[in-house]
Amino acid sequence: MTGAPPIFHAAGLCKNFGGVRAVHDISLAVAPASVFAIIGPNGAGKSTLLNLMSGIYRPDAGSVLLEDRDVTGLPAHARVRRGLARTFQKIRLFKQLSVIDNVIAGFHTHHRIPAWQYVWHGGAFQADRARCRAQAAELLAFVGLERRAHALAGALAYGEQRMLEVARALATAPRLLLIDEPAAGLNAAEVEALLDRIRVLRGRGMAVVVVEHNMDLVMNVADRVLVMDYGELLFEGTPRDVQAHPDVIAAYLGAGP
Amino acid sequence: MSDAASPGSGQSRWWGILAAAGVIAVLPLIFPDSYWRTNLIICALNVMLAIGLDFVLGFAGQLNLGQSAFYGIGAYVSTLLIMRLGLPFWAAFVCGVAASAASGMALSLFAVRLRGHYLAIASLGFAVITYQVLLNWISLTQGPLGIYAIAPPPAIALPGLPAIDFTNLASLFYLVAGFALIAYVLLDQLVRSPVGETLTAIREDEVSAASLGIDCRAWKVFAFGIGSAVAGAAGCFYASFVGTLVPDAFFITESFTILAMVIVGGMGTLVGPVAGAILLTVLPELLRGIGDWRLIVYGAALTLVVLFMPGGIAQAVRLARDRLARPRSRAVAGVGR
Repeated sequence: MTGAPPIFHAAGLCKNFGGVRAVHDISLAVAPASVFAIIGPNGAGKSTLLNLMSGIYRPDAGSVLLEDRDVTGLPAHARVRRGLARTFQKIRLFKQLSVIDNVIAGFHTHHRIPAWQYVWHGGAFQADRARCRAQAAELLAFVGLERRAHALAGALAYGEQRMLEVARALATAPRLLLIDEPAAGLNAAEVEALLDRIRVLRGRGMAVVVVEHNMDLVMNVADRVLVMDYGELLFEGTPRDVQAHPDVIAAYLGAGP
Repeated sequence: MSDAASPGSGQSRWWGILAAAGVIAVLPLIFPDSYWRTNLIICALNVMLAIGLDFVLGFAGQLNLGQSAFYGIGAYVSTLLIMRLGLPFWAAFVCGVAASAASGMALSLFAVRLRGHYLAIASLGFAVITYQVLLNWISLTQGPLGIYAIAPPPAIALPGLPAIDFTNLASLFYLVAGFALIAYVLLDQLVRSPVGETLTAIREDEVSAASLGIDCRAWKVFAFGIGSAVAGAAGCFYASFVGTLVPDAFFITESFTILAMVIVGGMGTLVGPVAGAILLTVLPELLRGIGDWRLIVYGAALTLVVLFMPGGIAQAVRLARDRLARPRSRAVAGVGR
């Protein structure tokens, strides 16, 4: 790692489910303005690692630091206030709400309304509402959904739903965005559009962690790649190093004769 | 929130509330007899109970079957404070509302990991326990013998105006319906604010809501506190209106009656449960002419509504309005593509 101190730091993370070691002794550091990919075969523990990072699971051992502050004991919702946002492998939108209302729900931690104006909608309330609507429209434009703003989220095509989930996560104004299996269920054009948005976010200084089992996909977007297998760290390095590493090739293609 | 929350937005909504105030003003004039005036007051009480439950059930998505207990706690706490400690009515009212809110928040904290059917059972258990305590703590509540001769709220004498005496059923109706209207406006404002968005997010998907920074536990406690506070206020008025308190008034069947009002009216809208509460209060009275058959008609009507109008009265009205406005494009009301 070079230059800036990492925005996210995990040390010795372990998580067991019954007798299964889902994640064992994983350490990683994510630099700002970078794309960090976590790859590995299905069942390697990638999603468990992501859930440990976002706070859905508590680690059995190890610690998690966000911008040098220990957040190991903080639940998922409290980590959002520290600048961490995520999407889900199995899309979890508010399907009965409109597209724009999904994004507006993402502004939860950013409302600036005095308490009494929640029952008496005064000037600050109206200004906050206008600001949220405008920012939500901007985020929808960013992911190319501006024309679907008033459709029900559940009525969107699958690829659009994934983009909407990214827009909703961005509404929390994260400095670290975790994206779980971005390519799952998307066609090639949609994957390319999503990768392009990820590059733009990196250009704006955001750190993006991508969990993906498709190795080819992350190779041309990731700055660092962490390879997992059976819950353990197999290798970490640049995409070029990873592709050349014999252990990684063995994990993906099976050991040679 | 979206326009689905309640009919009308902005200006037209305030006209609707003004119209409701007008209807409240003329209702006792249309119904001069004490029988119907009594029913009007019961309507207003049931409206409070239904919108309070809807805030928890329809918006925050928490299946709460404890509303009868919060109703009873408000009634007994305020009455006992008046009769045993001699508190003035309005001080006891505040305490009754606070006690109901506190018990609702405590139940929510206790049941924090429960949702759906499990929360329903836990809250039903709370209603059963509360009922049994009211029934068996005879030294405090006089159990099934009940508490008698509860005074109506004291007359209000504003300087320069004739005193308003609440032994008069019309005045009492204005008081209770006025509070119901205030409760409605406050809840409506809340659900149209980011609070409404937050509760709806919790209802739709708690994991997703947490990923947006929403503290689901705290917000559920908040929703329960508000919903049971409104029920507690209804309880305080109930005691001073009926003049008698027996535990049977707060048996668990009352929770299901309130639930039926919310479902028939339309969960997740506030105006729906108002209509549901009025309908399910008035309908049994209108059916009295057919004797015990009314229970069958009532039950059948309830079943038919749930089968054919799952969104309740609110959804039926919305669909009818959309059809009238755009007779050709039926898709608009539905899925959108």
